[in-house]
Amino acid sequence: MSGGWERVRSTRSRLSRDVSLTGRSSTSRTVRLGRVQPQAPGHRTIHCNDREANFPVRFKGNSISTTKYNFFTFLPKGLFEQFRRVANCYFLFISILSMTPISPVNPITNVAPLSLVLLVSLIKEAFEDWKRFQNDMVINNSPVEVLQDQKWETVPWKKLQVGDIIRVKQDGFFPADLLLLAGTNPDGVCYVETANLDGETNLKIRKALERTWDYLTPEKAAEFKGEVQCEQPNNSLYTFTGNLIIQKQTLPLSPNQLLLRGCSLRNTEYIVGAVIFTGQETKVMMNSMNVPSKRSTLERKLDKLILTLFGSLFFMCLIGAIASGIFINRKYHYLGLDEGAPTEFNPNNRFGVAALTLFTLITLYSTIIPISLYVSIEMIKFIQCTQFINKDLHMYHAETNTAALARTSNLNEELGQVEYIFSDKTGTLTRNLMEFFKCSIGGEVYGCGITEIERGGALRSGINVQEVHKSVSAIHEKGFNFDDSRLMRGAWRNEPDPDTCKEFFRCLAICHTVLPEGDESPEKITYQAASPDEAALVTAAKNFGFFFYRRTPTMIYVRESHVEKMGKIQDVAYEILNVLEFNSTRKRQSVVCRYPDGRLVLYCKGADTVIYERLADGNDDLKKITRGHLEQFGSAGLRTLCLAYRDLSPEIYESWNEKFIQAKSSLRDREKKLDEVAELIEKELILIGSTAIEDKLQEGVPGCIETLSRAGIKIWVLTGDKMETAINIAYACNLINNEMKQFIISSETDAIREVENRGDQVEIARFIKEEVKKELKTCLEEAQHCLNTVYGPKLALVIDGKCLMYALDPSLRVMLLNLSLNCSSVVCCRVSPLQKAQVTSLVKKGARKITLSIGDGANDVSMIQAAHIGVGISGLEGMQAVMASDFAIAQFRYLADLLLVHGRWSYLRICKVITYFFYKNLTFTLTQFWFTFHTGFSGQRFYDDWFQSLYNVIFTALPVIMVGLFDKDVSASLSKKYPQLYKEGIRNVFFKWRVVGTWACFSVYQSLIFYSFVTISSAGGKNSSGKVFGLWDVSTMAFTCVVITVNLRLLMICNSITRWHYISVGGSILAWFIFIFVYSIFRENVFFVIYVLMSTFYFYVTILLVPIVALLGDFIYQGVQRWFFPYDYQIVQEIHRHEPDDNSRAGLLEIENRLTPQEERSYAIAQLPRELSKHTGFAFDSPGYESFFAAQLGIYAPQKAWDVARRASVRSRPTTSKKN
Amino acid sequence: MDVDGGSTSSDSTRVRSIPIHSGQCKAFLSQFKQQSLPACKPVLTPAWVIATLLLLGFVFIPIGLVTLHASRGVLEIVDRYDADCVPEEFKGNKASYIKDTSVPKNCTRILKVHKYMKAPIYIYYQLDNYYQNHRRYVKSRSDQQLLHGLKYNDTSSCKPEESNNGLPVVPCGLIAWSLFNDTYTFIRGTAELRVNRKNIAWKSDRDHKFGKHVYPFNFQNGTLIGGGKLDPNIPLGDQEDLIVWMRTSALPSFRKIYGRIEEDLEADDVIVVHLMNNYNTYSFGGKKKLVISTSSWLGGRNDFLGVAYIFVGSSAIILSLVFLLLHVKNPRPYGDTAYLSWNRKGISS
Repeated sequence: MSGGWERVRSTRSRLSRDVSLTGRSSTSRTVRLGRVQPQAPGHRTIHCNDREANFPVRFKGNSISTTKYNFFTFLPKGLFEQFRRVANCYFLFISILSMTPISPVNPITNVAPLSLVLLVSLIKEAFEDWKRFQNDMVINNSPVEVLQDQKWETVPWKKLQVGDIIRVKQDGFFPADLLLLAGTNPDGVCYVETANLDGETNLKIRKALERTWDYLTPEKAAEFKGEVQCEQPNNSLYTFTGNLIIQKQTLPLSPNQLLLRGCSLRNTEYIVGAVIFTGQETKVMMNSMNVPSKRSTLERKLDKLILTLFGSLFFMCLIGAIASGIFINRKYHYLGLDEGAPTEFNPNNRFGVAALTLFTLITLYSTIIPISLYVSIEMIKFIQCTQFINKDLHMYHAETNTAALARTSNLNEELGQVEYIFSDKTGTLTRNLMEFFKCSIGGEVYGCGITEIERGGALRSGINVQEVHKSVSAIHEKGFNFDDSRLMRGAWRNEPDPDTCKEFFRCLAICHTVLPEGDESPEKITYQAASPDEAALVTAAKNFGFFFYRRTPTMIYVRESHVEKMGKIQDVAYEILNVLEFNSTRKRQSVVCRYPDGRLVLYCKGADTVIYERLADGNDDLKKITRGHLEQFGSAGLRTLCLAYRDLSPEIYESWNEKFIQAKSSLRDREKKLDEVAELIEKELILIGSTAIEDKLQEGVPGCIETLSRAGIKIWVLTGDKMETAINIAYACNLINNEMKQFIISSETDAIREVENRGDQVEIARFIKEEVKKELKTCLEEAQHCLNTVYGPKLALVIDGKCLMYALDPSLRVMLLNLSLNCSSVVCCRVSPLQKAQVTSLVKKGARKITLSIGDGANDVSMIQAAHIGVGISGLEGMQAVMASDFAIAQFRYLADLLLVHGRWSYLRICKVITYFFYKNLTFTLTQFWFTFHTGFSGQRFYDDWFQSLYNVIFTALPVIMVGLFDKDVSASLSKKYPQLYKEGIRNVFFKWRVVGTWACFSVYQSLIFYSFVTISSAGGKNSSGKVFGLWDVSTMAFTCVVITVNLRLLMICNSITRWHYISVGGSILAWFIFIFVYSIFRENVFFVIYVLMSTFYFYVTILLVPIVALLGDFIYQGVQRWFFPYDYQIVQEIHRHEPDDNSRAGLLEIENRLTPQEERSYAIAQLPRELSKHTGFAFDSPGYESFFAAQLGIYAPQKAWDVARRASVRSRPTTSKKN
Repeated sequence: MDVDGGSTSSDSTRVRSIPIHSGQCKAFLSQFKQQSLPACKPVLTPAWVIATLLLLGFVFIPIGLVTLHASRGVLEIVDRYDADCVPEEFKGNKASYIKDTSVPKNCTRILKVHKYMKAPIYIYYQLDNYYQNHRRYVKSRSDQQLLHGLKYNDTSSCKPEESNNGLPVVPCGLIAWSLFNDTYTFIRGTAELRVNRKNIAWKSDRDHKFGKHVYPFNFQNGTLIGGGKLDPNIPLGDQEDLIVWMRTSALPSFRKIYGRIEEDLEADDVIVVHLMNNYNTYSFGGKKKLVISTSSWLGGRNDFLGVAYIFVGSSAIILSLVFLLLHVKNPRPYGDTAYLSWNRKGISS
C-alpha cells in the first residue's frame, strides 16, 4: 500500500498542472501559488450510496494523472519544449539552411548533433514522464473497499465514484476526500497522520457527526442514504463547509469530518466514509502547482557569452561574405564561371554572391556555438545534485535521518556565489526544541539554569560564569530542562504561596491541546503536540507532579501527586467544557473546565500583552514583579507565556455558553464570531505567573556563521521576535560582537511612543517616517566615516519591522540599502513574512548580489521564493518551507558544506566546463575560418562533414563531463578550513570577460598553429617516393591535431585527475582514430587518407610537434600565472601539497560531521527507495497546509506567508482562509 | 537484495538490504558519491615548469636537427617558366597568347644541376594562385562515376561540366575538365632522360577510386576546352596524371608530381627541358614552376618542420633558463600564506 505513495523526489518539483477550479464554473482559471481561490458560487449535491442519482451530474473519476505528456502528445509537445531553447532553434535553422544548395556541408553535419541532443533530452523527458506514469498507475490501482450490495468489495482507486461508501482500514491511505461517517473508536473519533501533506507525523483527530456513528457494518451502511450539499472543489485545505441532509435533518459539516486524500488512518481499526471529492478535484490535487523555476546568474551570463559568439560568428561571416564578393571573377576560368553560373558564384552579381556566401559561411561556422553545451551542463548539474549533494554524508543528519535534498538542479553553481544569507531565527538558527527552563509563580522566579545567551553575554562583559552544578536529582528530558529544589518533588508545598503553585501546575496540565500517546505511565508516555512549546509545558506539569495521562473529547485526566500529602496520588478528571483556540490574532488559548467538585474555572495562557490587557484590577505588585521577570526572561533569550485563571459562576458560564454554541454553529464568519464570544469571557483574569521556555541554538550554528562570514558572506537575521531576543541570538551566534559598531533603528523610542499614544494614524506614519529618515541619515554618515578609517570597526545594523516598513519606502530605500550593504551583519526583528521577502528582494534587485534565504517555517516561504536560492530546513516545523525551497538541509550548519564545498565546486566546475566548451568550439571553428582565406572565400569546408558533426558529440564530449563531475581544486575539508576561498566565487573570478578573453586568445593562437603548421609543412612531396597530399589529407592531419590538443588541454585545466579523466581523454582520442580507420574505408573523399597519412614519417613528426607547440603557450601562461599571480586556491593547494589525500579517512575525521557505522547504516537505510516515500507521497507542492490540522485543534497557527506575499503581488484583499 | 554483501570484512558493518554488485563497485560508487575518488593533483611549481621546458628543449632540438638534416639533404631545382615562355610580342597580353591555338606553345628551359642528385629524381609542377580548393571546384566531381563510369549516371554533382551534347562526360566535373596539360621532356647532353610517369599516384587512389574498366568518354568535346585531354583507350585507373590532379590540393599554391627520372644527375650537368606551355594560368595571373627534386625519408624539401622543432626547442630552453634565473634570484616561497589574498590586503574586504 505504501508503495502507492512513492514518488521520486525529483519529479515532484516538475509537476506542472493546470488545475481548473471546478469542472463547471470556471475552467480557465489556474491555481496560483498558494492563493486560495475564490470559491465558485453554487454547491455540489451528492447523493451518498446512490450511483444512479449522481450519474446525471457526471462527477470526475478518481483516477489521477500527473504526467506531462501522453502517447500522442509526447512528440509534438516534447519537441516544442525543446525548441523553446534558443540554441536548439538556432541549430534547427542551421540544419534547414544546410539542406539548401548554398551549404558547403552535408546537412548531416548539423542534423546529426541536433538530433542527438534532442534525442538525449527527449529520452530524459520520456523517462521522467514514464516514472510519473508508473506512479500514477500504482496509485490508481491501489485497492479500496467499496460498499456494494451490503458487502465490502475491493476495487481499484480509479473506479471510485463520488457518493460511494468506502471502508479504510488502519494504516491505509484515504483514496479521495471523504466524509467521515463512522469509525471503530468510541465517540466517532479517528486519528489521521498527515505526513504526506505537511511532513508532520503527529496525529490529528477527526470526529464524525454523532448522527452517523452507527453506519459501521456493511448492513447498516447500506441503509445510509444521505445527501451532502457542500462547496465546489477548491484548493483550500483547511476549510470545508457543507451540510449533510439525512432523513430531512440538516447537519452542518466542518473540516472535522473531512478526511483528505493522502492522509492515512492511525490508531483506528477502520472507518467508513462517503466520497466527496475525487481524483483531480481532491483538495490536495488542486493544490499541486508549478514551482516557478529559477535560473542561475551564471547561466544568464552564459547567454551573454552565447550572444557574443553569435556576434563574432556574424562578424566572421561578414568578412568572408564581403571578401567572396570581391574575389569572385571570371578570370578563374577553371571554375567555369560563364553566364550560366548560379547566383552564388555569378561574378555579375557580386552582391548576390556576398549575400549567399554569408549564409554558406553561417552553416560552415555553426560549430562556434556549442550545441551540446546545454545538454552537458544539464547532465552535469543533475548528477551533481542527485549524486553529490543528496548523498553527501557530511550533510546527513543521523538523528532525524534526513539527508540534504536538492529540489532543483538549476542552481548548483549559484551556491558558489552567494554573498548574502537571509536567515530565519526560530527553527533555523535555534532548535525549535523547546525546553521548559524557568518560571515565575506568584512573583517568585524559579529555575537556576543559565542559558547559552546569558553565558555569552557574561563572557562579553568579562564575568566568568560558574557552571551551576545541577543537583543529582535534576531531571532532564525532552522538553524539560529545569532544576530548582524549591519546586521539584513536591517541595513547592513549602513555598510561600502553594495555592498559586497548584493553579500554575493545573493550568499547565489542563490548558492545552496535547494528545497523550502510549502507556499511561510518566516514563513511557509521549505527548503529541503541534507546537513544541505546548509539549514542553505539559511535560513540565508532569514533572511537577501533575501528570496528564488521558484525554477524551470531553475529559482530561490528571494524576496529581503530592496534592495534600507526600506520596499520595490521586487521579482527577476535569471536564473540558470549552476550548477557546489559539490563533495568531488572539495570541492566547483558554479552556473552561469543571472540577470534579463542580468548580468552574477558565484557564488561560498567552502572550504577555494580551493577558495583561485582560487581567482583573488590583494586585499591581504581582503584575509589576511578573513583568520584570518577563523582561528578564526575554533578555535571556527565553520565550515567555503568561498564565492566568478565572473562577466562573455557573450562571455567567451558562449564559456565555449559549452564545458560544450559537457562534460555533454559525455558517458564516464563524471564526470571527467565535473570537468575539471568547472576548466576553476572557476577562477579569487573575495572573498566576509566567513560563520561560528555552529555544536552544542549533548545533554548530555559531561556528558555521563564523565560517560563512570569513567566506565573505554577509548574514542577515530576519525574525518576528522581539528586538532584545533577536539581538541576544545574534550575539550568541557571533553575528554581532562588542567590537562592532551597532546601529539600532527602533520604533520603541519615547518620542514615537508619545506620538502613537495620541492615536492619529496619519500623524504617526509621518512622524515615524521622519524619525527613520533621520536615523538612517546619521547612521549612514557614521558608517561612511567608519569605513573611511583604515581599521574601523565592523558595522552591524538592527532595525525593527515598523521602522523597516518606512525604510523600505522608495524614497528611503536607497539609503537603507547603502547603509545595510556596508554592515557585515544586519538583524531585522518583528518583521512580517512580507517584509522578509521585501528585504530579500531589496538586496537581490537593488544591490544585484546573489542572495540565499534559509528558513524552516511557513512564514519563511515568501522569503525563500524571493531569493536567488531558497533553502529549507527539513526540520520539525512541517514541510512548507522545504516545499518552496530549492535545497533542503536538515541543519543550519550544513549550509557551510552546501555553500563552501558543493557550491564552490559546482561553480568552479561549471565555469571550467563553459569556458572549455567555448575554447574548444572556437578553436575548431577558427581553423576553418583561416582556411576560408585560402579558398577564395568560397566557403569550402576544411573538414569532412562527419568530422565536424562528431567533433562536439563524440570526440570531445565525455572528458568535459568528467571535469564537471570530478574536478576539485582543494578538498572538502580544506574548503572549510579556508573559507576565504569562497570569495573567488563571490567575485566571480572564474567566469569574467577577462577569463573568457584569455581563453579566446589561446583559441586564436592554437587555431593559427594548427592551421599554419599543418598546411605549411604539408607542402611538397610527403613520402620517400615523392607523392603529394591533397586537401583531405591535410584536413585529416589538422583534425587529428585538434582532437589530440583539445583533449590534452582539458587535462591541463584539471586540478585533480582521476583514472576517469585518463580513460575519457584517452578514449576520446582513441575514438577518433577508430572512427577514421573505419570511416576512411567507406567514404570517397577521405578514402584511405589516414592510411596514406600514417604511411609517412611526416605524420608522426607533425603529430608530436603541433599539439605540443599549441599547448606550450597555455603551459607557460599557466606556469607564469601560478608563479606570479596565484589564485588563493593555488596557494592553499601548495600549502597542503605534501599532505596525503584526504579522500579516505581524513574527510570523515572532521569532528562535527563524523559518522559512526551506525549512522552510516541509518543513512544507507534513508537512501533506500522505500524510505523516501515518507514525505514525498504527494503529487503536489504547496506551502498551504501549515497548520490545517493544528487549527482544527485550536493550536497556534502562524500567519500564512503566501497570503501576505500574494497580497503584495496582486494588490487585492486576500481571502483569508477560515480556521475552524 | 543482498548479493554478496559479506565479501569483504568492511561489508559486515553495512546494511544487508542495500543492493551490492561487488565490493569494488560499491567502493567506487561510495567514493563517487562522496566525491573522494583517488586522484592525482598536479601542482605546476616553477621546478616543474623549468624541468618540463628543459626536457622539451632537449627532446625537440635533436628531432629538429634530424628533420632539418633530412630536409636539407634534399636537392631541389625550381624554375619558374610561365613568364619567360611567353614570346616577346605577347608580353603585354599573355592571355591571348595562351588562347591563340595557332601560336606554338613549345618552350625550352635550361636547368643547371649544382650538386649530385641521386635517383629517383622527382619532377613536380607547381601552380600558384590556383584555387583548387574553391568550393565550386572541389565539389564538381563524381567519385561514383570515376569508379563505375557510365554505369553510374547521376552526374548532377559535376555541374557545370556534367554532360555535353546530351551525353554524360566521363570523367565529369570541373576538376577533370581543367586537367593540367603542360608536358616536359628532359635532355641531358644529347640523350633524353627517361621520365617514368607511372606510380606517381597513391596506390589507394589508383586501385579503389578510379575504375580499372572506366574509359574516358565524351571528354573535352565541348565548346570550351579546359585543359588536358585523355586517351580514351586507357582506363581512368591507369591515367595517373589525372589521378594526381584530382586529389585536389589544400592550398592555392601547390605542387603535383609529374614523373620520375630514374637516373642520377651529376653536378654541373646541364639539363635542357623542352616543354609545351599549354596550360592557361595567365588569365588569372597564376605562376607555373617546374621543380626537380630528390627525396628523403621525410619527403621533399621542407625545412619548416625542422626549423619549427629547433625554434621551439631552443625557445623552451631559453625560457627555462630565464625562469631558472628568476627562480634562483627571486624565488616565491611556495605555500606561503602571505600570498593569500586575504592576507595580502591586510583586512579582508
